[in-house]
Amino acid sequence: MKFFPYVFKSLFRKKTRSLLTLGSILLPLFVICVMGTLLRTLERQPTGQGMFRLVTRHKVSLSNWIPEAYRARIQQLGGIEDMSIWCWFGGKYVDYSAKNMFARFGVEPEKLLKVFDEARVVQGSAADWIQDRSGAMVGDALMKKYGWTLGQKVVLAGDIYPVNLELTIRAVYTADNASALFFNWAYVEEALPRVKGRIGTFYIRAKDAEAVARLPKQIDEMFDNTDAPTKTETEKDFQNGFVSMLGNVQLMLTGISTAIVFVILLIAANTMSMAARERLNEIAVLRTLGYPKGTILGMILGESLLLALLGGFLGLGLFALGFPGFKAALMNSPMAGMAAGMRIFPSVLAAGFGVAVFVGLVAGIVPAVGAARRSITDGLRQVG
Amino acid sequence: MATPLIQIDSLVKQYTRDTQVLTVLDRLSLNVEDGDFVALMGPSGSGKTTLLNLIAGIDRPTSGRILVGDAEVSKMSEAALAKWRSQNVGFIFQLYNLVPVLTAYENVELPLLLTNLNRARRRKQVELALSVVGLADRMDHYPRQLSGGQEQRVAIARAIATDPKLLVADEPTGDLDAKSGEEILTLMERLNAEFKKTIVMVTHDPKAASRAHRLVHLDKGVLKEDVHAEKGKAVGMAAAVSASAT
Repeated sequence: MKFFPYVFKSLFRKKTRSLLTLGSILLPLFVICVMGTLLRTLERQPTGQGMFRLVTRHKVSLSNWIPEAYRARIQQLGGIEDMSIWCWFGGKYVDYSAKNMFARFGVEPEKLLKVFDEARVVQGSAADWIQDRSGAMVGDALMKKYGWTLGQKVVLAGDIYPVNLELTIRAVYTADNASALFFNWAYVEEALPRVKGRIGTFYIRAKDAEAVARLPKQIDEMFDNTDAPTKTETEKDFQNGFVSMLGNVQLMLTGISTAIVFVILLIAANTMSMAARERLNEIAVLRTLGYPKGTILGMILGESLLLALLGGFLGLGLFALGFPGFKAALMNSPMAGMAAGMRIFPSVLAAGFGVAVFVGLVAGIVPAVGAARRSITDGLRQVG
Repeated sequence: MATPLIQIDSLVKQYTRDTQVLTVLDRLSLNVEDGDFVALMGPSGSGKTTLLNLIAGIDRPTSGRILVGDAEVSKMSEAALAKWRSQNVGFIFQLYNLVPVLTAYENVELPLLLTNLNRARRRKQVELALSVVGLADRMDHYPRQLSGGQEQRVAIARAIATDPKLLVADEPTGDLDAKSGEEILTLMERLNAEFKKTIVMVTHDPKAASRAHRLVHLDKGVLKEDVHAEKGKAVGMAAAVSASAT
C-alpha cells in the first residue's frame, strides 16, 4: 500500500490516454455484461416445478396442430401431475408493431395454474378468471407496460384464428417471466368450432425427475406412426429451440464477447507498453534508489491492474445503472418474453470483474517484466 | 591509518559490441577515504561515469574488486546490491531525475518506502532532508513548479533521506546556471563537512572539481592523476588537471 500513491499518480500522468483507455475498457465491459446477461437468461434452468415441465408439439413444426385427444393416451403413461393445452393465438393488439407484440396463449385456466405453479396471482383471483370464459390472466410486467388495470377489457384481433377476442382482465400473476396474457382456449373453440379438438402444444408437469427422463421418448414413440407425430422435450429445450432459430446464439454471443476481451487486452497492453517505455529512465532511477526488480514489476503490474479495475468497476456500474432502461427497452420489443426473465446476475458481474482482472494482469505483465529486467545503466541513458 | 571507505583493486570494465571488445576501465586501482570529497574528471569516454556506476553498485565490473565499507560490491547478487544501495548510497544526477507526478515530499520519500519506517517516521526524515537543503517550504510543490536549482536540491534531499554514508553525483551542476551550480556545490560541501558524507562526484567543470578535496583524473580508462588538494589551492589544481586533459 506504501506504493499506491506512486502507482495511482503514474496511472494518470497522461490523462487523455488513461481516460481513453478507461473508456476502451468500460464500454466493452458494459457490452460484455449485456451479452452475458442475455446468455445467462437463455441458459437459465427452470427452478421449482418448472424443472419438471415438458412440452409436446407436432414433430414437423409448431404451426401444425396435434389432436387434443392425445391427452388421455399421454396421461396413461403415468408420472404426470397435470397437463394443459397451450395454444398460440397470435393476432393483433392495437397494431402489429414490435412494441405491441406480447405472448398470448389459449389455455385451460384451472390446469394451467397447476402446471405453471410458480405463477402467483397478485391481483384479482384465479377463481374469477376460471369462472369467466372471456377472462384473462395477465403477467404483472405486461400490466405495468400497458398501464392496464384489473377488470379492463383487452381486445385481440385474430389472424391465424379469424375471431376477435374481447377479454377481461380477471387476474394478474407474477413469476420470473410475467409478460404473457393467458385466456381460456374454450373461448376460441366456441367462436370457431372447426378448431375444436386441435391444439398447438401440451404443457405437461411430470411428477418427478424419473418421469421427465422417461416421458419424452414414450410419448413420441406412441405417436410416431400417426398422422400427427409428436416431439416432446423439456420446457427449457423447447424455449431454446426458439432461440436456435436465430442460429447458434450462445456461440455467437460467446464469440463476440471473446473478441471484445481480446480487443480490450490489446488496447490496455498498448497503453501499458507506452507507459512503461516512456518511463525507462524513471524506472532506472527507482532501481538505482534500491527498488528491487520484484517491486518494480509489482508497481507496473499494479498500475495496469488498477487501470483495468477502474474501467471494470465503471463498466459494471454503468451496466447496473443502465440495466433497468435496457430491460424496459427489450420489454417493448418482440424479445419481451425473454426480457421479462432478465435480471442482473451476480455471475455475470463476477465474470465482468474477472475479465477486468485478466486484462489488467495480462496487459501489464510484458511491459512490467521488460521494465524490471532492463539494465539500470541502459535506463539511465534514456532521456527522461 | 583508517581503512578506506572505498577500495578498488585492478578494476576492469569491458563492453562487447558485435565482435569488438571495448575496454572502458583498465586495471584501475583507487582508494577513497571515509569522509573524503573526490572529483572524478577526464574527457568524455574516459570511464568516469562507468567508475561511478561501479562504485555505486548499479553496474558490474568485468573483473577486479570493489569494496565499499565491508561490502564487496563486485560480488554481490543483484537483489543484495539493490538492498545495499538503498541503505548505503545516495545518488545525485545531472538531470535531477525527479518523478514528475510526485511532489517534492513524495520524491524524497521514495527511498524511505523501502525501509521499515512507519509513516510518521518517514515524514520526519523527509522533513529533515528537505530542511537540510532549504526546501522545507516547498515540499508540496511538483518538480515542474521548481527551478532547476531547487529540483537538484530536492534530488539531494532524496539522496540523503536514508542517511547513507556515500553520495555519488554525476555532473550535479551540469544542467544548472552558474549561481544555482554554486549553491549546489556549497550544499555538497556542507554535506561533506557537516554531515560527514563521503562524496564521489563526476564533473567536467574545474570550478566544481575545485570544491573537492581530491581530484582523480581518468583518461581512456586509466588513472592519470590523483591529486590531494589543500583548501584554497583547489581551483588552480582543478584548472591544471583540466588543462592537462585537453
